[in-house]
Parts: sequence; structure tokens; C-alpha cells
Amino acid sequence: MDSFKGQEGIQMLLTAEQEAQHIVLSARNLRTQRLKQAKEEAEREASQYKSHMEDEYQKSLLESSGSSGSNVKRLDEETEDKINNLKQSASKVSNEVVDMLLKHVTNIKV
Amino acid sequence: MNDSDVSRQIDQMVRFIRQEAEEKASEISVSAEEEFNIEKLQLVEAEKKKIRQEYERKEKQVEIRKKIEYSMQLNASRIKVLQAQDDVVNSMKEAASKELLSVSNHHHLSLTHHGHVYRNLLKDLIVQSLLRLKEPSVLLRCRENDLHLVEHVLASAAQEYADKENVHLPEIIVDNNVFLPPAPSHHNIHELHCSGGVVLASRDGKIVFENTLDARLDVLFRNKLPEIRKQLFGQVAA
Repeated sequence: MDSFKGQEGIQMLLTAEQEAQHIVLSARNLRTQRLKQAKEEAEREASQYKSHMEDEYQKSLLESSGSSGSNVKRLDEETEDKINNLKQSASKVSNEVVDMLLKHVTNIKV
Repeated sequence: MNDSDVSRQIDQMVRFIRQEAEEKASEISVSAEEEFNIEKLQLVEAEKKKIRQEYERKEKQVEIRKKIEYSMQLNASRIKVLQAQDDVVNSMKEAASKELLSVSNHHHLSLTHHGHVYRNLLKDLIVQSLLRLKEPSVLLRCRENDLHLVEHVLASAAQEYADKENVHLPEIIVDNNVFLPPAPSHHNIHELHCSGGVVLASRDGKIVFENTLDARLDVLFRNKLPEIRKQLFGQVAA
């Protein structure tokens, strides 16, 4: 009778010990999982951030190509104007210049 | 100890074991949460920093490319303007070159008036050439069409030179075989042509003085170019 009761007691203790280990092990497993989750969530947040930055970047590219296109156009127009003014003022004095050249060619200082 | 005491002790121990385990589990759980937060934050911040730097670099490259493109455009524009200036000035030379013909074209207009002007021009050109060469004996080449005019004024040109320089009359040998190319026309636009004037050389052919109207225009044009450009383009940087 005594030994049986003793056995039972020891059994209960052993069981309790096992359960205790189980509880602690579970907690440790959860912690490992949690750390893995930290990595996964961090990655997700980071890639969200990246796609946000990429969108902003693309937007700024569009803006800048638009403005540089208009710059080029303005430059071209200014150049055209300059050249036209050039041609106009040239045609005004062209005859004078040609006459001057001819005069000097045919005027011989001996 | 009796049975119920033992039993109670065992129960207590069982409870104690369980309690300890649960406390430990709870500690682990709490520190797991803390570690989770710290780890996640650190990872996110590190990645964000890298991403920010990457995009800063990208933006900078875009800036640089824009600047380069703009300065290339600017250069292209400048070159266009310079080219246009050049074209304008050269077309004036072309126009003058065409006008040369009217100077020497003594066959289509009144022979008396126009012919004398060109004839006298030829004489002056010959005298000037003689003065430059200062040779006692020279070779002279002219256009075939101008031959008779040259022969007409040759003697008086030689005399004028001799008087001016106080030397003997020079010997002027006119080349009757090889002539200067003829006046430009529709046919020979791309070949050699000559609008008039003469070419003189020392007897040994080593010193040559080109006094054709074309050569004179070339030299004159080059000399007057700065002046012409200033007149046309004013203070515009050349």
C-alpha cells in the first residue's frame, strides 16, 4: 500500500516535471517564431517603403523630363530668333559690304 | 507522515513546479516581445536607410544627366549661331565674287567705256606686280580673252614701273601658250576659273605674284573679315 502510494506520488511529480518542461519549451519556440516574424514583417515594411520611394522617383522623372523638354524648345526658339535677326541685319548691309570689297579690289595703290 | 500529508506535499510540489514553469514561460514570452520589437525596428531602419541612400544617388544622377544634356543643347545652339554667322559672311564673299565678273566683262557692254576701265585696271595690276617683284625680267600670264588688252598696256606699264623705281625697262614675257582659266560661267562652275587680272613671276618661276581679281578678293576678304563681322554682329561674342 505504501509503495503504491509512493509510486503514484513520484509519477505525479514526474508528470508535472514533464509538463513544466513542455510549457517552457513552448515558450521558447514561440520566441523563435516571433523573431522570425520580426524579420518577415521588417522585410514587408521595407519593400513597402521602397515601392513608395520608387513611385516618388518616377514622378520626379516625369516632371523633370517635361521641364527639360520645354527648356529645349525655348532654347531652339531663341536660337532661331538669333539667326533670323542675324540674317536680317546682314541683308541690310550686304550691298554696302560687297561694294566696299569691290572698291578695294579694283583700287590699286601703286 | 501519514498518507494525506504526503499527498498534500506532493500536490504542493506539483503546483510549485507548474508555477515555476509558467513564470519562466511568461518571462520568456515578455522578453520575446521586446526582442521582436527591437529586432524589427533595427531591421526596418537599416533597410530604409539603404533605400534612401540608393534613391538619393539615383536623383543625383538624374540631375547630372540633365545638366549635361542642357549644356550640350547650349553648345549645339552656339554652334548653330556661329555657323549662321559664317554662312552669312561667306555669301557676301560669293556675291562680291560674282560682281568681279562685271569688272572684267568687257565684251558685253560698251566697249569704249567699260573696256577702258578694265584695261586701265590691268595696267595698274601689272605695275603693282612689277613693283612687288622688283625683277628685271618677268613672266606674265593672263586669260586668253584679256591677251589683246594686256598687249595694249604692256609698254606703258613697263615704262611707269621703270620711272617709279628709276631702273631700266623690265623685260616682260607674256605666255602665249598657257593662259589663266577663263571667266566663270554655267559650264565651269566647279572647275578652275579666273575673273580677271594677271599673274607675274620671276624669270626662274620661283617667285610668283598672283594679282588676279579672285586672289585680290581672297586676301582682301580675309583682312577685312574682323571688321565685317564687327559691323554685322556688333558686340555679339564671335
